[in-house]
Amino acid sequence: MVEVLYFAKSAEITGVRSETISVPQEIRALQLWKEIETRHPGLADVRNQIIFAVRQEYVELGDQLLLLQPGDEIAVIPPISGG
Amino acid sequence: MSSLEISSSCFNRETKLPLFPPLVEDSAFEPSRKDIDEVEEKSKDVINFTAEKLSVDEVSQLVMSPLCGAVSLFVGTTRNNFEGKKVISLEYEAYLPMAKNEVKKICSDIRQKWPVKHIAVFHRLGLVPVSEASIIIAVSSAHRAASLEAVSYAIDTLKAKVPIWKKEIYEESSSWKGNKECFWLSNPRNHRSLWTHDYSILWIRFLSGLGIQINITDT
Repeated sequence: MVEVLYFAKSAEITGVRSETISVPQEIRALQLWKEIETRHPGLADVRNQIIFAVRQEYVELGDQLLLLQPGDEIAVIPPISGG
Repeated sequence: MSSLEISSSCFNRETKLPLFPPLVEDSAFEPSRKDIDEVEEKSKDVINFTAEKLSVDEVSQLVMSPLCGAVSLFVGTTRNNFEGKKVISLEYEAYLPMAKNEVKKICSDIRQKWPVKHIAVFHRLGLVPVSEASIIIAVSSAHRAASLEAVSYAIDTLKAKVPIWKKEIYEESSSWKGNKECFWLSNPRNHRSLWTHDYSILWIRFLSGLGIQINITDT
């Protein structure tokens, strides 16, 4: 069980700021995204602009193999606009 | 000048202490290495995310140092327009623990690249009305080149990497923004046009099938 955090546009699309989901301990980033998109199909609109942050490190939605621990935080990061 | 007046030229106005330290003629007093080290200021990175209004005065004071001859500042403020639309306000949110960490990394990078003394990065969260500051970055250094360059690097890198978002609020609607500096959007995948090599070959074969000969010459 990992915690998924939503921000900005992605939080508006899902209607939630965070949720706990159950995923395999070893999972590719893109697969994880597909899991999330299945729960929130509206996220398909922003797929090309999103990056993950896994344990506060950026991870692209690609082939990278993630090794997840229970309670790990995964953030859905839309294009940033600080400053 | 009466005996009760203190001339401001040789006394610090606030503390009323003499600006020039007393001369010590007796060599019995020799400052030890420990005394000198205690006088040295520890360099600090001050990072703050707050919903409160930002103060340029407060942030600059944080980085002032007697060791520094320069304080450089960047202040980002809410502009009242975007593509012809009237902007009422900006609204900011952040992935806080990661945003603080990313700013710490920027401070660390700055210290690797430039000889700066203190760094302060203040970012406001929540609503920031027009003409108010959303961000203040202040850096001090002995000489101006280092702090000027460091401030420029700090704002550019923050815009590329720190997980903070702003929403522009117009009269009738709103819109989430994305910085052009956003690091994962700066290299969009190149889409193949119809005139790439492979498509040209298919087209030539098709025309050959129709009995039409195509001569390709390099121009």
